[in-house]
Amino acid sequence: MLRLKNGRIYDPANGIDGEVRDLYVEGGRIVATPGPDARIDREIDLAGRVVMGGAIDLHTHIGGGKMNIARALLPEDHRADPVPAMGGMHAGCGHAAPSTWTTGYRYAEMGYTACFEPAMQPINARHTHLEMGDIPMVDKGAYAMLGSDDFFLRMLASGADQRLINDYVGWTLDASQAMAIKVVNPGGISAFKFNTRSLDIDEAHPHYRVTPRQVVQALARAVHDLGVAHPLHVHASNLGVPGNADTTLATMAAAEGLPIHLTHIQFHSYGTEGERKFSSEAERIADALNRMTNVSSDVGQVLFGQTVTVSGDSMKQYGNHRHASPDKWVVMDIECDSGCGVVPFKYRDKNFVNALQWAIGLELFLRVRDPWRIFLTTDHPNGAPFTSYPHLIRLLMDKRFRNSKLDEINAEAAAHSQLRSLDREYTLYEIAIMSRAAPARSLGLTDRGHLGAGAAADIVVYRDDADREAMFAKPEYVFKDGQLIVRDGKVVNVVNGALHAVKPEYDKGIEKPLKEYFDRYMTVRMENVRLSDDEICTCGASKLIPHTCKGRKA
Amino acid sequence: MSRAEEGVRLERPACPRASRLFAVPDQGQALIAGLPVSLDEACRSAAILLSGARRPLIGGLGCDVTGHRAALLLAEKLGGVVDHMHGAAQFRNWQAFQNGGWMTTTLSEVRNRADLIVLAGTDASRYPRFFERCIAPASQFGELTRKIVVLGGPAASIPVMDGVSVSSLAVDADRLGELFAVMRARLAGTSTDVAADVAGVPAAQVEALLADMRAARYGVLVWNAAELDFPHADLTIESAVNLVKALNQATRWSGLPLGGNDGDTSAAQTCTWQTGYPLRTAYEIAGPRYEPLLFGTDRLLKTGEVDALLWISAFDPDRTPPAADCPSVVLGRADMRFARAPDVFIPVAVPGVQHAGFLHRMDAVVALPLTAPAPSSLPGVAQVLAIIQGEVNHAAA
Repeated sequence: MLRLKNGRIYDPANGIDGEVRDLYVEGGRIVATPGPDARIDREIDLAGRVVMGGAIDLHTHIGGGKMNIARALLPEDHRADPVPAMGGMHAGCGHAAPSTWTTGYRYAEMGYTACFEPAMQPINARHTHLEMGDIPMVDKGAYAMLGSDDFFLRMLASGADQRLINDYVGWTLDASQAMAIKVVNPGGISAFKFNTRSLDIDEAHPHYRVTPRQVVQALARAVHDLGVAHPLHVHASNLGVPGNADTTLATMAAAEGLPIHLTHIQFHSYGTEGERKFSSEAERIADALNRMTNVSSDVGQVLFGQTVTVSGDSMKQYGNHRHASPDKWVVMDIECDSGCGVVPFKYRDKNFVNALQWAIGLELFLRVRDPWRIFLTTDHPNGAPFTSYPHLIRLLMDKRFRNSKLDEINAEAAAHSQLRSLDREYTLYEIAIMSRAAPARSLGLTDRGHLGAGAAADIVVYRDDADREAMFAKPEYVFKDGQLIVRDGKVVNVVNGALHAVKPEYDKGIEKPLKEYFDRYMTVRMENVRLSDDEICTCGASKLIPHTCKGRKA
Repeated sequence: MSRAEEGVRLERPACPRASRLFAVPDQGQALIAGLPVSLDEACRSAAILLSGARRPLIGGLGCDVTGHRAALLLAEKLGGVVDHMHGAAQFRNWQAFQNGGWMTTTLSEVRNRADLIVLAGTDASRYPRFFERCIAPASQFGELTRKIVVLGGPAASIPVMDGVSVSSLAVDADRLGELFAVMRARLAGTSTDVAADVAGVPAAQVEALLADMRAARYGVLVWNAAELDFPHADLTIESAVNLVKALNQATRWSGLPLGGNDGDTSAAQTCTWQTGYPLRTAYEIAGPRYEPLLFGTDRLLKTGEVDALLWISAFDPDRTPPAADCPSVVLGRADMRFARAPDVFIPVAVPGVQHAGFLHRMDAVVALPLTAPAPSSLPGVAQVLAIIQGEVNHAAA
C-alpha cells in the first residue's frame, strides 16, 4: 500500500477544499484510511504540496482523420519541435499537431490522465481508434459526430418516430465505440455539399428542409432518452461569424430544458458592434449560461501563436480559408457522413479580432459563475495547443498577470473589452472543479476526477508555486491507476490507457433499414463500419471500459 | 484489382489479377542466400544484418496497419528511414498537398452526388470497380444525369452506363497543368490572350469544358498520381487542386486522388500519426527527419545513402525489391520469386487472407477490418518484425 501523506487535497467531488489529509493507494485504487495493522510499502511526504485528481480534458482533438490531415499538412511546424526516442518513449513531434505518442506524453506531463476526442466521424471510427490506440499514458474516449449524415437527415425529414432516431443514435454510439454524441454545425456540413454557405438555426436545409433547431432537438432528446451521461455536445451553427451570439442563444433555447453542452463557446460569442463590426457578446452569453442550468460549456480559449484549426465544420472552415497562415488549407466532404476542414492559423496579439477573441474567452471564464458548468479547454489545437493550459490557468488565477497581458494586446481590442473590470481570480478548488470533478461528472466517470475511496488512483501532486503557470506545467508526481508515471514534469514510466465507451440499450432492428441504406447507397458495407469490442484492444487501447446507460422511456 | 477500394473479399475475385493475388500459398520456406533455414535462424540473420547497418531503408511497406506499426517501431530502433514502394506516386500528391492543401471528397459522395466527373490523365481503368461502385449506381438524392470527361487518352475503356455520357479531350498528361492554370485564369476573369489552343486543346473546347464545369452541381476532378509519371507532376496536381478550389467560389467541386494499393494509404496514415510525417522519414538522434525529396527509395539505393534494405511486400509476389547494391532482407509472399536471391527471405502471411488486421481505403477515411478467411501457419509481417526486433534488442543489450 502506498501512503501519500500530508498533502493539501483539492477534491471538489467530495467537497474537500485544501484540507491536509493522507491518501492511501492499493491495487490501482484509492482506499479508505486503513487500520493500524495495514502494511505501508511506500510513503511519500507531500507536506506543502497541492494534490488533485488526474485532470480530464473533455474536448481535445487528439486523434482521427482530420488531425492526421493537420499533421501531414504542417511539416514546417513539426520541424521546430522534434521529439527524439528516449527512455522507452517513442520519437515524434510536438506543438500544434503533435504525433500520437507525444500527445500522450505531454498530456501526462501536465497531470492529465484522460482525454476525449470530440469529433469522431462514425465512418472514420476505426481509423480514430487506431490513432487513439497509439496515444499512451492517458485514458481516452471519443464522441461520435451526427447531424449532417444523410441517414439521420432522411429520417428526420421523413418525420421518423423519435424512438427510431434513438435506435440509430444508440447504434452509432455502439458501432463506433463512442462515449457521447456531438453535432457540428447541425445539418450545415450536409448543406455545404448542396452548395449552401451558411445555415442559421431556423433556416431550412436546402434538400431535407429540416432546420438545425430540429436536428439539435432530435439528437438532444435521443441522447437523453438513451441515458448517455454526457449531454448532446453541440458545436453550434455560425462558428466564428460576427453576430453569432444570437444563434448561440437560440441553440441553448432549442434544447428546451434538456441537458446540452455548447462547446468552444468563445467562437460563438461574437457581436457586430463597433467600427469593425466585431464585438464581444461574452456578457450576454455568460448571463444565459448562468441562468440556464441545463446548459454546460467549454470555452475554446484562444492563445497567441501558431496553431492549426481542425473541425468537422467544412462549411465554416471553407469560409475561413482566406485567413489560413501559412496559406494552405484542406476541406473534405466525407462519405455522406460528415466533412472536415483544416486551416492553419496564427493568432496575433496585435490583431484586433484575435485579441478580442482572447479577451472574450477569458471574459466567459470569469463571468460564468458555476465552474461545474464551464470547462477548461482551448479546443486543442483550434484556440491553441493543449500545452498552453498552464498559461491559461495562470491567466484565470492571477489578475495582475492577466492585466499585464491585456496591456500587450491590440489596444483597441483591450479598450473594447470589459476584461479589466473583472476582478475574479479562480481558486485552486475551482480549477480542480473545471479540470477534474466537473468533466468527470459530465461524462459519467464515477471513479475518475476525484480522490474518494474507490476512485481510480489517478493523482497529481503540484508544488505550491505562486507562479501558477510554472506550477501546473510541471507536476512533481503524477500517478495513473496507482503507478507513478511522471516525476518533476517528465515521464518516468510509459503506460497505456484504456478506452471509455458507452453501451446504451437500443433496438438492433435499426440495422435492417440501415443495412439496406448502406447496400443501396454507400461504398462500404454496414458491417465494416461497426467496430467490435475486441477491436478496441487490437487498435491499441489497454482495455475497453464500458459504461452502461440507464435509458429513459421515449 | 480493387483491394483497397472496397475491402478484401475472397469470394469476389473481380479480375484475373485479383484471382491470382488471392491464390495464396499456405506454406513457405525461409531462406538465407537462397538456402533453406528455420524462421528463427532467418530472423536472427536479418537482425544481425540490419543492426549492422548505419542507416537501413525499411521499404516496400506492402502490408496492413499492424505491419506498418511494427515496421515503424523497428525503423525507430534501427535509426532507419521509411518509404513505401509507391512513394514516387504518393509524394506527387503529398508535395502538392503540403504546398497548398486541397479540397477532396470520398467514394460514397461521388456515388451519390457527382454529376460531372473529369478524369485527368487517367481513364481509371486501373480501378475497374470505380465505375461499378461509384458512377453506375443510383443516387439517394433522386435522378442524377452524369457526365464523364476524360482528359488525356481515349475514353474507350469507360464502361457503358445508364444515364452516363462519356466524352474525351485529347491532351498530353504533362500539359494538364497548363490547361488547368489557363482555366483558372479564365474563371478568375483574367483575360488571358488565348491563342488558338491551350495545351493542344482548341480554345473553344476549353471554353465549353469550363462552362460545363461551372454548371456542375457537384463536380469531381479525378487523378491518379501513379499515372502522372513525368518530372514535376506535383505541379500538375497543384494546378488541378487550385482549379478545384477556384470552382468552389460558385459551385461545389472536389478532387479525388486515386490510389490505395499495397497498403500505401495505411502506411502513410500510420507514419503520419506516429511521427507527424507521411513517410520518407528517417529516425535520427534528434527525432524524426522528413525529407520528401531526398528519402525516395530509388535515390537512397542509388546514392548509397542507405546501407541495408528491409523490403516488405506481403500482398503481391510481383512487388519484389528494386535492385540494390546493399545487403537485403525481404519479407514477402511465399510465392515471391527473385532474379537475385536476397540475403534473407522470410515468407509471410497475406493480410486479409491469412491474418486479420486493418487496411485503409484510398480516401484514407475508411479503415476496413481485415479478417483471415484462410489462416495459415505463416507468420504475419508484424510477428516476424517483432522477432527481429527482439533479436536486435538482445544484440544491443
